Amino acid sequence: MQLIVKVLTLISLLPFIILSCKGFGYFSGLGANPIETIIHFTGQWGIRILIITLIITPIGHYTHYKLFNKLPKPLGLVSLFYIINHFLSYALIDQGGDVKIIIVDIIETPYLIVGWGGFLCLLSIGLVSFKKLQPWFNKNRSTISGITYTGAILGVWHFYWQTKVIETEPVLLSAIMLLLTAWKFKISKDKS
Amino acid sequence: MIIQKNSVVKSSEITPEKIYLKRRNLIKSIGMISTIAPWGITFGQSKEPPKPLTAANFKTNSMYSTSEPKNTFEDITTYNNFYEFGMGKTDPYQNSGRFEPSPWTINITGEVEKKGIYDIDDLIDMNTLEERIYRLRCVEAWSMVIPWLGIPLASIIQKLEPSSNAKYVSFETVYRPKEMPGQKRRILNWPYIEGLTMAEAMNPLTIIAVGLYGRDLLNQSGAPMRLIVPWKYGFKSIKSINKIHFQEAQPKTSWNLAASNEYGFYANVNPEVDHPQWSQARERRIGNSFFGTKQPTLMFNGYGDEVAHLYKNLNLKKYF
Repeated sequence: MQLIVKVLTLISLLPFIILSCKGFGYFSGLGANPIETIIHFTGQWGIRILIITLIITPIGHYTHYKLFNKLPKPLGLVSLFYIINHFLSYALIDQGGDVKIIIVDIIETPYLIVGWGGFLCLLSIGLVSFKKLQPWFNKNRSTISGITYTGAILGVWHFYWQTKVIETEPVLLSAIMLLLTAWKFKISKDKS
Repeated sequence: MIIQKNSVVKSSEITPEKIYLKRRNLIKSIGMISTIAPWGITFGQSKEPPKPLTAANFKTNSMYSTSEPKNTFEDITTYNNFYEFGMGKTDPYQNSGRFEPSPWTINITGEVEKKGIYDIDDLIDMNTLEERIYRLRCVEAWSMVIPWLGIPLASIIQKLEPSSNAKYVSFETVYRPKEMPGQKRRILNWPYIEGLTMAEAMNPLTIIAVGLYGRDLLNQSGAPMRLIVPWKYGFKSIKSINKIHFQEAQPKTSWNLAASNEYGFYANVNPEVDHPQWSQARERRIGNSFFGTKQPTLMFNGYGDEVAHLYKNLNLKKYF
């Protein structure tokens, strides 16, 4: 069981390895606009893995297979790893680390405000995954899943909003997110 | 008065064919590796190198050319927005192999004396081509410097003798879903349509390009002929034109139809009017150093001296 979790976690890190190879010129390289490639790649994989993580919970709920309870945490952290890289490559490389410019850029750009909000949600969830905070984590599960869902919804919105025309993937992810949220509400209603 | 000075392009400024072909082969061999890879990046399409232009000698129009460093041929031809071939930046480069730019005809219609279907060579005298090194500013806040080869659009329009009713000129990209896989989905209202006022079309900066870097245009760059309007966002510079229509009413252009609050008819480069989703104040110059910061965007993309007078009485915040 532990082995399967480890293998799946490693697989989820594969895109990052590919991106690193691209950085060294393999797999057709980073292209004419390397920073854009890095930002899009990390953002896209961050949201994809986050959604996969969220899908696992309902599957576990109905199948009662233990693996599905073990997977969300490591996968969620991998997703956060991509999203932190996504944010850092935007802030440090694209904007040159200039805090003033970043703040103005975020305020001026609606999809960045949304993305920033989602990032803060997910970052705070990542922090409570530390061992010392485990008791608090266990006591506040519903709050935590609420914040995670908010983060994911904002993330998908951020993805959707920066496209120029209607593209398949953001629409698909939005639909999945809608279903997941509906399911979450149904579950919490059933419990109460 | 500025006296127009023409200078012959040094052969050293053009990417040598050998290096160019070597790069192609490298890209191809990398492509073979990546087609095996599970994440589906395919660089398998092999393409013929561009044919040298029919015009052996062309001159650089230094009056209208910038001295800023040019982007490489590779950057210019592998990073494109050409939705007819897909929405990704490398899609036009990867998916345009099946496109057939020759033979090519252009249909001239509307308020014009010399209507009809013209062969490209009848419309453009390949012996009068000149090089224009222009800045290109994409609406997505990136930019390049590109050495185009072409002729002023005005010289074509004069030949066609538009009537006094011709207030606007519109252009259409060819519609060939079999050769342009992006047209199989209605991302935009195909065929792609763009337009200019007559004054904009007659401005000496406006050209019809048939080449870049001394070679015929590659398919991904809008072969065999495209518009270049350097003071407007890139989407105005329509590619692979096969129809030019003169008309009295303002043309209904593709991006304007798709989202009129985001893309205006004029679409002049303007750092003060933001796109609703992002700021237009700064731009990333492609090919600059990786950690380089963005540079400020110039009004009319730096071509204000030549074109600002066209918009003297126009509220640019309203007519963006």
